[in-house]
Amino acid sequence: MNKTSKILSILSFIVIAALLFGCAGMMVKPTEKNFNNPVITLNHVEIPYYTGYYYFSKKVKPTKGTAGDYGAPMSMAFIFDIENPNEYPIQLDGFKFSVNFEEFEVNTVNSPENMWIPAGKTNQIRVPAMFDTRQTLLTLLLPGAMKLSEKKISPWQALEKWWTGAPDFSFPVYVKEGAAIFQAGALTKVVSFNATFP
Amino acid sequence: MYIRNLWSKVFILLIAVALIAGFFSIAGAATIKIGSLNDMTGATSDVGKDYALGISEAIRYINDTGGINGKQIKLYQFDYGYRIPEALTKYNLFKRLKCVAILGWGTGDTEALAPTVARDKIPYVSASYSGHLCKPEKTPYNLFFATDYSTQSRGLITAWFDKKWPQKPDYGKRKPRIAMCYMSASPFSSSSIKAAKEQAEMLGFEIGPDQDVSLYAIDTKSQILALKEFKPDVLLHTNTVMSVAATLRDSYALGLGADNLIKCWGYDENLPKLAGRAAEGAIGCAPWAFFGMDVPLMDKVVEYAKKYNPGIPMEKRTVHTVQAWASALGLAEALKRADKAGDLSGEGILKKGFETMKDFEIGLGIAPATFTATDHRSQSEAKIYEYKNGKFSLLDEVDLKKRWPDKWANEWLGW
Repeated sequence: MNKTSKILSILSFIVIAALLFGCAGMMVKPTEKNFNNPVITLNHVEIPYYTGYYYFSKKVKPTKGTAGDYGAPMSMAFIFDIENPNEYPIQLDGFKFSVNFEEFEVNTVNSPENMWIPAGKTNQIRVPAMFDTRQTLLTLLLPGAMKLSEKKISPWQALEKWWTGAPDFSFPVYVKEGAAIFQAGALTKVVSFNATFP
Repeated sequence: MYIRNLWSKVFILLIAVALIAGFFSIAGAATIKIGSLNDMTGATSDVGKDYALGISEAIRYINDTGGINGKQIKLYQFDYGYRIPEALTKYNLFKRLKCVAILGWGTGDTEALAPTVARDKIPYVSASYSGHLCKPEKTPYNLFFATDYSTQSRGLITAWFDKKWPQKPDYGKRKPRIAMCYMSASPFSSSSIKAAKEQAEMLGFEIGPDQDVSLYAIDTKSQILALKEFKPDVLLHTNTVMSVAATLRDSYALGLGADNLIKCWGYDENLPKLAGRAAEGAIGCAPWAFFGMDVPLMDKVVEYAKKYNPGIPMEKRTVHTVQAWASALGLAEALKRADKAGDLSGEGILKKGFETMKDFEIGLGIAPATFTATDHRSQSEAKIYEYKNGKFSLLDEVDLKKRWPDKWANEWLGW
């Protein structure tokens, strides 16, 4: 009786181990050779928050609160499709890109959240980016100043065009220098991407 | 009875396996949280973006090479757009997330948060190198891995006096003449002017009228014309690169004929692109090697830049990436020491980490770093480069502590 019990215990253990290893063996293991770059596509851009075009300098007395250089805020959401063409799930471990209004770089966006993308499936990621006319003015006055000077336009002209034209996307919004970091097993892969909207 | 006994054994075995697996997953998940405040969209994004990229790449490198004694760093990196209220908000978030240290950015956030980080005892390693952050009795938790602005300015003036002034036709006939171009309303631009003037006086310079040059200036002709009468031999620029480039261009175009000395934030790979021929001969202080230079660890900086940001051309990467690596690697070393001592509290990181560093070599062309309980000037050596024939070359290394030990120890700390 005791002997039979031992034999059955060992057999059960072997069967369970075999099942576990069998399941693991059925999963394709990520390797350098079988990894295919995920495909990143800009699905569309939305403007979830918009208040028109304005700018108040600190010389203007506010109704309430403290005076300051305040710009009109505008929020943009960039919705990307990320397709995983691999036979195993992959984890998105970093996602960043720069935003250009026409040829002026006005923002760099970083999405720190992780997400798993199942094998052969497409996930969507929504990346919010905040702009305001004060912030973008400073960007134009420093990094963009030389380019503005070459084009002989004032930063105010550029701001007005963008803030009044954004609801209709009457100027191109570029996604540039995009980099998405993926983990699969011990592999770390970075995929670059660019896009234009509309 | 027998079957029940058998299954209970199998069940116990599975529980044991699950517990062991669970234990290992918890052990493997040990992380150290660090916050990073960066400007990727604001007024300093022209240099801040490259620095921010460097921070994330350096942290990847640190994690890939064993982390902090086996613990991985979890980096929370945010763009605060150089908006001070947002910097304060993000700081509170870092506290809630239980970050043990913060990699900060410029003068704006560093100055605004200095009293708070001292009260909360959170080490704050920033890219603001103001001399007054080096006195632990005032700002004990502010640290950086660079030559402070005052030491940079003193080093620049000394190097020019030693290397360039003797080659001028008027050498030995009269005093050398210096004037300073900076934005007087900017704490960043004006922070080292007092030290620079004291150094110039000590070396026997005649000091001309200060020129107020906005950080946003793209035309500085009126300032250059105002200097024509004084006929300076050399100008000291303490602004950022765009207005420095504008000043160099106007000085060149109007034939001022003065040499140019430039603090680190005005002296990077973009200066020759913006100033063109006017950048030829420009002398600057760079506490770190320029991006891609042949110095220890630069191969890793380049490798990680290519790997993690393949969409950004290498010619757009600058010395600011290298700066960021210095900050991240310096903090990582402090964390390793504190962790080894079993104390990852803010005070532990300061006392058992940073303040145990003596001549610590990071690589990347940086002078060895030393911190003590009474002096947070990590370096006494100003590395002076000259831009000539299309490249930056090391011109001089001025070690102020060796040259003026008494003044270094007793007079120059904290300003």
